[in-house]
Order: sequence, then C-alpha cells, then structure tokens
Amino acid sequence: MKSINLKENQFIQFHQKISFKFDGVKYFGYKGDTIASALLRNNVNLVGRSFKYHRPRGIYTCGIEEPNALVQIISEYSEPNTRATIKKIYEGMEIESQNRWPSLENDFGSINNLFSPIFTAGFYYKTFMGPHKKFWKNLYEPLIRRAAGLGKPPKDFKGISNHIHHNVDITIIGGGLNGLLAAKSFINSNYDVLLIDFEEQLGGIINNSNKISSIDNKEPKDWLKETIQEIEDSKNIKILKNTLVTTYNYINHLIAIEDRFVGSKPIEGKVNSTLHKIRTGHTILCNGHIERFLSFQNNDLPGIMLSSSFEKYMCRYGLAPSKEPVIFSNNSNSNSLVYSLIKAGLKPKAYIDSRSGEEIEPNLFDLIRKNDVPLYTNSQIKGAFGNKKIEKILVEDSSGALNEIKCDCLCLSGGINPDVHLFTQSKGLLDWDEKDLTYKPSKPFQPTITLGSASGQFNFDNLNSDINEKLKTFKVKKLDVKLELNTNAKYNIEKLWEVSPQKKSLWAKSFIDLQNDVTTKDIRQAITEGFDRIEHLKRYTTNSMGTDQGKISSINALGIVSDLLDKKVNEVGTTIYRPPYAPLSFSAIAGRNCYEFYDPERKSPIHNWHLKNGAIFEDVGQWKRPWYFQINKDESMHDAVQRESKNVRENAGILDGSTLGKIEIKGEDALEFMNLIYTNSFTKMKQGSARYALMLGEDGMVKDDGIICKISDQHFIATTTTGGAATVLGCMEEYAQTEWPNLKVFMNSITEQYATFNISGPKTREIMKKAFPNINFSNEEFPFMTFQFHEFNGVPIRILRASFTGELGYEIYIPSNSAPKIWDNIQSVGKEFGLAPYGTEAMHLLRAEKGYIIVGQDTDGSITPIDLGLSWMIGKSKKDFLGKRSLTRSDTIREDRKQLVGIIPSNKTDKLEEGQHIILDKEIKSPVPMLGHITSCYYSPTLGHDFALAVIKNGHSMIGTKAYASTSSMGTTGVDIVKPVFYDEGNKRLVS
Amino acid sequence: MLIINCPYCGPRDQSEFSNGGEAHVKRPDGSKEIGDREWGEYVFIRANPKGLFYERWVHTHGCRKWFNCVRDTSTDEILVTYKLYEKKPNLNNFKSVVKTPSGEPEVGSGNFTVEK
Ligand SMILES: [Zn+2]
Repeated sequence: MKSINLKENQFIQFHQKISFKFDGVKYFGYKGDTIASALLRNNVNLVGRSFKYHRPRGIYTCGIEEPNALVQIISEYSEPNTRATIKKIYEGMEIESQNRWPSLENDFGSINNLFSPIFTAGFYYKTFMGPHKKFWKNLYEPLIRRAAGLGKPPKDFKGISNHIHHNVDITIIGGGLNGLLAAKSFINSNYDVLLIDFEEQLGGIINNSNKISSIDNKEPKDWLKETIQEIEDSKNIKILKNTLVTTYNYINHLIAIEDRFVGSKPIEGKVNSTLHKIRTGHTILCNGHIERFLSFQNNDLPGIMLSSSFEKYMCRYGLAPSKEPVIFSNNSNSNSLVYSLIKAGLKPKAYIDSRSGEEIEPNLFDLIRKNDVPLYTNSQIKGAFGNKKIEKILVEDSSGALNEIKCDCLCLSGGINPDVHLFTQSKGLLDWDEKDLTYKPSKPFQPTITLGSASGQFNFDNLNSDINEKLKTFKVKKLDVKLELNTNAKYNIEKLWEVSPQKKSLWAKSFIDLQNDVTTKDIRQAITEGFDRIEHLKRYTTNSMGTDQGKISSINALGIVSDLLDKKVNEVGTTIYRPPYAPLSFSAIAGRNCYEFYDPERKSPIHNWHLKNGAIFEDVGQWKRPWYFQINKDESMHDAVQRESKNVRENAGILDGSTLGKIEIKGEDALEFMNLIYTNSFTKMKQGSARYALMLGEDGMVKDDGIICKISDQHFIATTTTGGAATVLGCMEEYAQTEWPNLKVFMNSITEQYATFNISGPKTREIMKKAFPNINFSNEEFPFMTFQFHEFNGVPIRILRASFTGELGYEIYIPSNSAPKIWDNIQSVGKEFGLAPYGTEAMHLLRAEKGYIIVGQDTDGSITPIDLGLSWMIGKSKKDFLGKRSLTRSDTIREDRKQLVGIIPSNKTDKLEEGQHIILDKEIKSPVPMLGHITSCYYSPTLGHDFALAVIKNGHSMIGTKAYASTSSMGTTGVDIVKPVFYDEGNKRLVS
Repeated sequence: MLIINCPYCGPRDQSEFSNGGEAHVKRPDGSKEIGDREWGEYVFIRANPKGLFYERWVHTHGCRKWFNCVRDTSTDEILVTYKLYEKKPNLNNFKSVVKTPSGEPEVGSGNFTVEK
C-alpha cells in the first residue's frame, strides 16, 4: 500500500516534522499524526502479529475501535496494548510491535497458522486436560503464557493520576454534530453542563468526513469554529477534551479518563492522566456510531481497512493510505468515501456493492459513471490474497463470474452500529432494527437521552425535530439548523454478513474477531457442538472477548448466528457490553491512593521516640507498632526479642499500648447493655474494678477480648484488640440501635484521645513509686484488676493494675498530648531498675508463656470460649448475651471440637513452627488424619526451649499424652500435649 | 455507585454506607426457651430474593445511624429508606416486574434489565 500526502489542514502541519522509532527503525511524521497515520505515511503496513495464529496484521481503522494495530510504547515505561490509531506521536517516541519473535517480518509463532486446523473453538478446553494435573502447571501454562497474549506488562509503574469529582445537571458525551447542537441548546441556561469529547478537536463527523457540505449556509468548518466559541463562552458549560467516558454506572455515575499528554511525552513526576468521576442529573449520549467490517476469506490481510477510516485519514491527517483503493460495501455509508477520493483527485480502483443497481443511490451512480470507476453491483468479494499484504481480490459479479482485481488497498463497509456500549452499561434496553440491521437503544433505564447516530438516527433529515423533541423536558430554546449534504441523506443497507470462500480448505480463514483470531468456522463449530446460546458461544469461541470487545464485529457475529439458527437477531440477543468501554490503566484507577497514601498510617503519640530508639515496626491494621527495638545494628530479631522478654521477667519492661482500642460506654442502662454485649457479668463487679472480658458473635464464636473498667453502673471503659476496635464499636452501635433501642446507652471511640503505657516486671512497683510519688502502689491500696484516677502535674491520668505478661503490671492511660512527656519521665526514672522498652513480638512471647490468647491468632472465628478453656468467663446466670444460645447448639457442645492446648517438643532441643499440623502417627502415610495445628510458637528464654499453643480436636482430654508435629520436610517431631500455661500457673507474680 | 438517602442526613454517596443484610429479622428473646432450629435460622438463614427486599444499611462514615430500606435487588434501585422504628412499607406499593425466574430476558442477556 503506497500512501500519498494530501493538503495540510488545521489538524496536521506538514512543516512540523517529528521523528520516532518503530521496531528500531527511524521514521518521520508530522505534528498531529497518530502512530497509525505516521506509519501509513511511511508505507509501513505490517504493524503486528495476531493473538493466536500470529498472522500478519495491519491498520484496520482510524479510531478507538482498532482491533489489530496494538503497540508497545517503549518510551513510556513500555506501556503495552496501546492503540496506534489514537496515540499521537511525539519527538523521540519509541514504539515496538507486539506478539512476534524474533521479528515482525519473520515471526516464529506464525507456524501456528499452519497448525490452525487444530486451534479451533474450545481448543484450550479440549486439549490441556491431561494426562496429569502437573502438566498444566509445568508445561501448558508456561507455554500458553509465552505464546498467547498481546503486549508485555510494563516494567516500572510510574504513571501519576489525579481523581476529580464533578456534580452536574447534564453531561453530554460526544462533541460531534449532535453533541454540539445539544450543548448549543443549553448555552446560558440554568443547567450545569459538562461536554466531553474523546478527541482534541470537537466536531466528530464534520472533521472526519465530507458528508456535510454546509450548515446554516456556512462552510461546516466555519460553523464549527463559531459554535465551539459560543459554547466555550457560555459560563454554564465546561468542556473536557481528550477525555474518554469508559463507564456508565448506576445512578448516573460516569467515569472518564483524560489524557493530559496528548502528542507529547509524559513528564516524569507530573500528572499524566485525570480520572473524572461524574455524578450527573441527565446523560445525553451523542457518542455516534461505529462502522463494522465484513467476513470473507483473508479479511485480515494488511491493506484492508474500514472505508470511513480511510476517509478519516484523508480529512483529519491529510493522508490517503492508498492512491487507488478498491471499495466493497453493502450500504450507503461509504458513498462519501467515493466523493472524498474524487474531490482529492484520486479514484477508486473499483467500487463493489452487494446491492443491486436500483438500490444504489443515484448520485453515487452518477459520480461513479462520470469518473469511469469500474462498478460491480450485485457483487461480492470472495477473498483477498497476498503475502503479508493485500495483492489481489477475487470478485464474484452479478453473473456469477469471477474477476481478479490487483490492488494494494481494500476499503470495507458492512454497515454502521450506534455505539451502544455506554447505553447498555447504563442498563438501557436495545431493540433490533430490521431495516437498518443493527441494535438500537430503545428503553433507557436511567435518565439517559440518545441523540444522532448514537440513537440509531442514521439520516440527517429529522436532525432538528429529534433534538427538539428529546430535549423538550429541559425547556430550552428550539433549534433550527439548516444542513446540506454532499451525499445521500437516507441510510440504506442490504443484509450481508459473510461471503463464503471460493475453495473449501482447512486453512481458509474468514475472521469474525480480528483481535482474538476467531473465524466464522469457529462459530459454526461451536453451534454444532451445542453452544447455541450467545453467552455460551462467546466464551467457547472467545468471540468479542478482546480488549476491543469486538467493536467492529460483534453485531456481525449475531447476524451469522441468527442465520445459522434460523432465528431473528432479537431472539438471539446480545452479550453484555461491560465497562470499561476501552482499557484504562491501573495507575489511573489507583490515582493518588498508592505508596504511602494507599492506606492511612496510624501512629501512636510516642512514635517519634520509637524512631529514635531503634524500633523496627510491624503493621497492625493501619497502626505502626514497634515490633522490637534494636540496641545496635547487628542485633538480630531473635536476640532482641529474647533480650526484651528476659528483661521483663527479671527487671521491668514498657510497651506502648496506645493502639489498643478504647471505647467509652455511658448511660442509664450501661450496665445492662454491657451484660448483653460481653459474656461476663458486670453486675456484682465493684466500682473501680476491672475484668477481662470476651465478646462473641451470635454464632457463639470468640470475636474480641479486652479489659472492662467499671467506673459506675452508668459508665464503663472497654479496651479492644488493636485490629478489632472499629468492629467492636460497630457491633455495639448496631445492637444498641437495632435490638435494644429501649436501652439508654451511648458509646464512642476514645482510642486516639488516650495513650496507653503497659509497664510490667518484678521491679515495676519501684518504678511506679518513683514516677508517681503521690500514689500508693501497695498491694492492699492498689490490688490486681483495679484502677484509679489521679492527677499528675496537672494531667488527669488513669492507672489500671493489669498484666498481659504474667508479671506485676500497670497500664497508664494519659491524654495523648501529654503522653510523650510522661513517657520520657518514666524512661529516666526506670533506668536504674533496668527498665527497657519491648515490642509486640516480646509481648506475644510473654503472654503465650502464660497461655493468654490473641484473638485472630489463636482463634479463627470457629473457636468458642469453652474451646479455649475459658468457661469461667461465661456469666451463666445471665438470661441473655450475644451468642449465648449458640454455646448450647449441638455443634458447639461436640466433644471433638478443636480446643486450646499447650505443646512442647518431647526432645527439648527440637524446634517447632507456627502452622505445623499435629498428628497421631510418627510415620506420614496419606491420608493423614489431622488433629489441629500450632497457632503460636516461640523459644522461651525462661524455659530454655520451644513451646507452642495449638488448637487440636478433643484437646482438653488429650493433655498429658504424646503426639507429633509434621514438618515441612515430610518428617515429624515428637511433642507433648500439655496445659496451655508454661509460667507461674498459680498467678503468684500477678497478684503479689 | 448508588446514592442513598439517609433518613437522618439526606442523600449521600454509597461509599459512606455499609450494608447490613436483611431487615426485620427478629432476634429471639434470650430469656425464653429457644429451639436449636429457631435459633439456627436466626443466626444463619437470610432471604436472598431477586426483586424487592427489605434491607438494613448503616451510615458508617456519617451519622452512624442504622436504617431500613426497600431495594430492588435486580436493578439496585433503592425505592425508599425509613427509620428503624417506622412501619415497614407494603411491597405492593412498589412495582417490580421480574419476568423470568432469574430476571434475565428469555434470550441473550444484554437486555438484562427488568422492565420498570
Ligand atoms: Zn446519616
């Protein structure tokens, strides 16, 4: 295909040369060129290899519907699957073709084309079945992954995207003739209007074809300029250009992506796309139509192009891809291409129409006659032939005779479809138009209006009345636009979906989906095999499942299927068009919610101290908690945790517990409410005392735990696990509002209002005395599980005597702003007693030695308090509490439930691991009955060996017996099942 | 993305709310004897109809209030929202025409909306 430059226009400047590279070769294009138009200008017609058969493919269209010309932009972080037909070139752009190896010209994968008779519909389902499960993982999947697919994923993620929200009355999608007229109606009205167009220049068909000769007696381009100016001057209308609406959600919620670097290289660190989230009162769809292709043998050869696309290259890019293309059509839409060619001083090599001479528009007839264009009416193309490019076609004329025509370009038109994707995404109903042979929008589901060809109005004669009628509800001024055309006003089409090949052959291919390499033969085979429902057929053949969603071909497939099944197209139905309309990158969707902004980070008031003191952090929910503290860079985690744990047992340690959830519960009926929420009974509890409490789900399973402080019957403070705070508060709110609205009770989170320090260890009392000299910490004055309010240097504090480590311990609650000062003070007075900070890992180790559970680690939503051996915490005399009835369900009273036990290795030097299965036999012979698994496991510096907590079937009655823990190397370790308490069973250290 | 009309705050974006499943499910009175079956149904069984459905929502990132609504599960349309203590509306007041058992048209599924 030899292209020729036509005249410059406002979209393309021939004096502004741009150089770019395609597959390593340097070419020149002009400012305004897309990759496709620039390649056509350089007579590069082979641009990619197809998905399955690796067939040579060229540029088929001039827009977003492109199925073939997908390229990888090397100079933009290797962005794959970019449509060459819309991406504009810039100086220094580097582009590569996709899905070929070693090169586009000599592609090894094209051998698939030879084997194509076996790559039929359902090939993957039928072939990669056996003989062994491992074949899929080790052989088939890696092979398919290498051979199939389009581009390669980009190496670095660098794109930056902003999200912008809009709230408007009216959104007009598409700034073509109808979109502009609709916008014009709203000029200076009281409506907030958003006009969105995918292209840089508004105008649509006025720019893309020579169909319209004048508007209001003006040159179309002059009218366009004036109208755009009027709209831009109107204060109530905002225009978004280079913006593609990809998604139409319920309720009138649109997603649109704006390219901020059209025709230039994205600058690193700058926002390169904007995602617009639009909430609109009404949506006016003016997004036009898409031309469809036709199926015949080798309808995928480079050099074959849609006829309206050819015309768009002429009008928009000043470029005729070929000097003498053959045109093959079954409708009136391609008339204007003939007109455009002749106007440009070119001539079609032949005009072939499947319609009869009487059907063909008289003015087209005249044009063809006058210019001596060879005309074939009642004729069809049986096939196109050539090596990596079209060289000749075979035409069957009205007499049935075959004519060979040599050509380098073939323009196709199989009719036009309203672009119904967005309309169906909005859940609008479609209806088949038997005369225009396409699905058209019928009933909208949302406040959606369709105008122009998007609504199926392919004729221009009732342009004014249609817009005036549909915009009536807005009471805007009526339009009276005078339109004159260069070609016929009436759309006419004759049914034609497919031309059968001249010679039957296993290798003859007529494509129905170019991107996914689906042939019409695949459709036939699928139907023969019983996949005659359109949704089944789509999945089985993968028809219209590519990134283009079969924009130029899916209706053709419905036509072919309806003929095969001898049903009406309406009875066949359509498949669902799913969002997005065209692919959009993950970086656009992620917007600024990535890296440090992906999820909020919550930090305790002491965070800066931790940073300065060698803390290594762990994420607990959104919180950053010190995991352990490194005293020097060489200290390993194991050494640090052992040191911290030992120090708590021998001296004293301090933990920043500020992240623990804290909920304040107040109200006349607070006591009754707490009795209903937690398993424990708080009725007899003294004011100023505290209690360890469990919260269950209605299914009886442990959901959270914490310490409840009773200030009075009307006032409680509950702590929750760090990760469970929001859920517990939510649960309390839910029950207070929905189940017990009669209870007068209110609750609120005070997690961030108070910092919490947990100090524990044998020397704690000495440290507390020194830090808070006015408080009596004696066992008599301040017994275990009580709390007191005090004032320290003007700061109100609450001290609770409780412990999660098994040592004497206090928890200090301080308003967050005053916390760092008091923390520093405790550090300095504690020094002489060996006080050192410890992190969550040492805390976990210490609590496990005492057999204290961690909800979510030792429980998994299937463990009851009884399974944990915590029956004593259940207020049995209480009539009701969350999940009470479930504790006596047949399933929860089973004896072989998984129960919490302790595990130690029989040989003390053996190691254990979290997640190991506990089994009965030393030898592993499958199937291995599994008793349960280890939930927590540590090396205890106090015991001098590994120990673990585990949940195992019937565990409570197995205490004192032996079992085995399976190892990752298929071996076993002998273990003793023991009580889940490894340290100070009598709690002497806690209470003294 | 729905817009939900909180009975306390007015129409707000769906992202401010959380769904709480079927509404008007009565929690059995704990002070009375409850059979395994009755309790099991309360804990585990919820209706899941195609069409009109009484549903609970909570304005999580707003006023934290729970409320009820009638939602058409085949279209996602929320027909009415009302406060917990308000009487539940009669479903006959709303039109929901579910034509086929699953709500899809008899052929294809591109036209999957039920007629309003
Ligand atoms: Zn609210």
